[in-house]
Amino acid sequence: MNKETVCFRDSIRKTFIGYSIVPVVVTALVLLAITGFAWSHSVTYRNEKENRETSDEISRVMDVWYLMTEDMADTFVENDCIVSRDRIFEILYERCGEFGETGNLVILSPDREVLFTSKETVPYYLTEPAYSDWGILYTAGRAEGRTVTGLSEGDICIGKSIYENGGVKGVIVYIVPEAVISRITATGERYLAVTDENGWIWSGNNKMLSDAYGKIANNFDRETGYLKNDGKLYYLCRTATKCGLTVYTADDMSSNIRVFALLIAVVVMVFAGIVFITYRSTDASSEKYTADIRKIEAAFEAVSNGDLDVRLLTDSSREFNTIGNDFNEMLRSLREQIAENRELMTDVAFAQLKQLESQLNPHFLFNTLDNIRFMAKIDADAADRMIISLSGILRYTIRDTREEVTLREDLNNLQYYLNILQIRFNKRFKYSIDISEELMDCLIPKLLLQPLLENAIKHGFGTKEKLSVVIRGYKITDKLVFVCEDDGAGIPSPRLKEIRETLENDTNDTAHYGLYNIHRRIRLMYKGDYGIDIDSREGEGTLVRILLPCRVKKG
Amino acid sequence: MTDLIKHHTALLVTALSAAVLGIAVILFFAFWKEERKEPDLVVVSPHPKAFMISLIKEFENETGIKTEVISLGTSDALKRIMDDKDVDVLWGGSLLTVSSYEEAFYPYHTENREAFEDRFDGVDERITCFTLVPSVIMINMDLIGDIEVEGYEDLLDPRLKGRIAFADPGKSSSSFEHLVNMLYAMGNGDPEKGFDYVEKFCENLDGVLLSTSSEVYEGVANGKYTVGLTFEEAAVTMLKSDKHIKIVYMEEGVVFTPDGIYINDLSERKDKAEAFVDFMTSRNAQSFITANLGRRSVRIDVTDSDIVAPFDSVKTIEVQTENVIGNKDRWIACFEEILKRGEP
Repeated sequence: MNKETVCFRDSIRKTFIGYSIVPVVVTALVLLAITGFAWSHSVTYRNEKENRETSDEISRVMDVWYLMTEDMADTFVENDCIVSRDRIFEILYERCGEFGETGNLVILSPDREVLFTSKETVPYYLTEPAYSDWGILYTAGRAEGRTVTGLSEGDICIGKSIYENGGVKGVIVYIVPEAVISRITATGERYLAVTDENGWIWSGNNKMLSDAYGKIANNFDRETGYLKNDGKLYYLCRTATKCGLTVYTADDMSSNIRVFALLIAVVVMVFAGIVFITYRSTDASSEKYTADIRKIEAAFEAVSNGDLDVRLLTDSSREFNTIGNDFNEMLRSLREQIAENRELMTDVAFAQLKQLESQLNPHFLFNTLDNIRFMAKIDADAADRMIISLSGILRYTIRDTREEVTLREDLNNLQYYLNILQIRFNKRFKYSIDISEELMDCLIPKLLLQPLLENAIKHGFGTKEKLSVVIRGYKITDKLVFVCEDDGAGIPSPRLKEIRETLENDTNDTAHYGLYNIHRRIRLMYKGDYGIDIDSREGEGTLVRILLPCRVKKG
Repeated sequence: MTDLIKHHTALLVTALSAAVLGIAVILFFAFWKEERKEPDLVVVSPHPKAFMISLIKEFENETGIKTEVISLGTSDALKRIMDDKDVDVLWGGSLLTVSSYEEAFYPYHTENREAFEDRFDGVDERITCFTLVPSVIMINMDLIGDIEVEGYEDLLDPRLKGRIAFADPGKSSSSFEHLVNMLYAMGNGDPEKGFDYVEKFCENLDGVLLSTSSEVYEGVANGKYTVGLTFEEAAVTMLKSDKHIKIVYMEEGVVFTPDGIYINDLSERKDKAEAFVDFMTSRNAQSFITANLGRRSVRIDVTDSDIVAPFDSVKTIEVQTENVIGNKDRWIACFEEILKRGEP
């Protein structure tokens, strides 16, 4: 997979699939494999068990017969070949009594004369001349005294030549009672065949393993393992016993394999169904679960493209809801901030302009200069003080571009202004300043107090001869209050109303710049319920109150 | 789909492995080859199974050579041994039929030849004579009633019309032997003259022509037909299994043709094939065959069974092998022609 950034929705979907289908499929496959393994193991185990039990039992039985035959031969040798019938039967019953069938014990002379038989008849293949060197007689004759097993015309025979003093004294042939072996083989649950060394079937429970001649079929004539015969799969187990017999057991696995294949087919089909359904449903669910993510993405995209008016409505979960609400809140405050900043900037620029305008009010300047000229003639000292004060005002106005200054600094400047007014109006104007010394380090907007005086002069004199102004400053809790009260002419109520309305509004289209500017600056600089209020009674005076947060200059 | 491939590798891998597993399991079981175990020796033979089993058993018992037997009719068996080098021995098949293919066989001189009758010792080394199988007439004694059947001439009795079992000489070699026997016996030594009899015989067949020799002897034994033209061994086997039948040696004469054992010239297991020939021609085996399997031995030292008529008591006819081989196809064609003519 290449390095490209994947879509959140696709990864969510991948996760759904990865944690649902894959474990299910893997688990089912593992279970299937385990089932298959366990099944084949159980088949082979049970087959091998049956084969082992059968061959063990056959070996045991054959061993008994071998021992009987050898016992018989020994008895003959010991007694110089003269043994009574009773003795022979004694040995026969002693050894083989447990089987219920004694079989046919035949003792032949070297020239094939029957010396003894435990049954009434002797099989033709022991007596007829054509068989004199055929089958078991051939094998026993060439075994040099060993006990051997051989098939003669479908009968299993145990044969042994009796040797004495180097010469053959006779042959013992024991025709094994087939019923005893059949009892062992008939109980087999699977295809079973007992063959001689050359593969000729001697006993079995079916024709399945036999070819047309009664031999073990070529396909089954092999070692233990899986094999295929006639299109069917078998598990074959083969044990060659010591006595020359071989036991074959075979299981037909075909029907089980068909069931197993069907199982696999069903599982695969169910998986295909699950995969299809899950693929479709994860499409829908991942769409649903990531809908809010995409909304958020779109909102951020819009914001980064400059659209701050978007609203994010996410409600799929508590977390997304919080994110949505917070985002909306953030955008709203951001919008406000931006608007305020913009306003603040224009207002500051505007205020500064107006400050200059008000400070260097041409009327004020002309009047002051006019007074200086006049004073220069009558009172040179006064003229000198006026010039000093005027230059102080100008310096203060021009020098500092700070927005905030300490109360002390602003009061110093106010003092220049008051000096000029004092000289100019002389006894007509009285003022007092009552501000606690401890407030002197508080920060206030620059040129806060001067407009109050300007306003008092502007409205106060009117028709009045004298004007006295009181400026008080105090602190209430964490608020700084300045009050400028005069006893002048006052403001007519319609005018007052107009001024109050102007202060409430964001824009000013009247000529009341002084107070309005102060009010606006305070509102912009300090969040909260700060600003100017004004009260006036015609003929009685005016009161202007400024409310500020009390902040002390640090350091 | 590309999205599916791109984003669901795990899923795809799982699905694919599931599919591959399933297919692998199915293919594994579907294409598992049936393995053949290679025997030590492969013998192809037209002999009846019952005839072969005891002999093969004893051969394996005595030599330890594991032998696989393939049962086929003579002509198919011949075809098989010439086509397949893994087939080592052709066991059986009349010299009259097989001699013409002797080039395909490996010359082997078994020691046992010394005990053979001279006429069997004299044949080419590529062919080892095995037994004698004369043609005979087999009669169901329960059905024959008072009809006297002593030879070919008696088969023309109208009472036997449609009750005679005879196989197609084109398909059954024993039937062809009978045809040859018939031509020589009824033509008094000149087979071409024998066709007069064949015409009459075919008329009495009344359109009944069987396709295998076993249908003949089983048909007679089971009462489907009254008389059958078959070979001695089959009749003896039926007699031994207590079927109520009688063997008749044709009074006009009987052809004693031997069958043989032939080793494939291309065989890669010639030593084992030779052991097979040695065993089958041994005194022991030949005695067993004559005593129990109803055949006559090619050896001097083995006397025939009591069941079969002594060689001396039967009128024998000599045939010219070359003549028979040379005319085989023509005679069969003639027979078929005659048979067709008889049809309406």
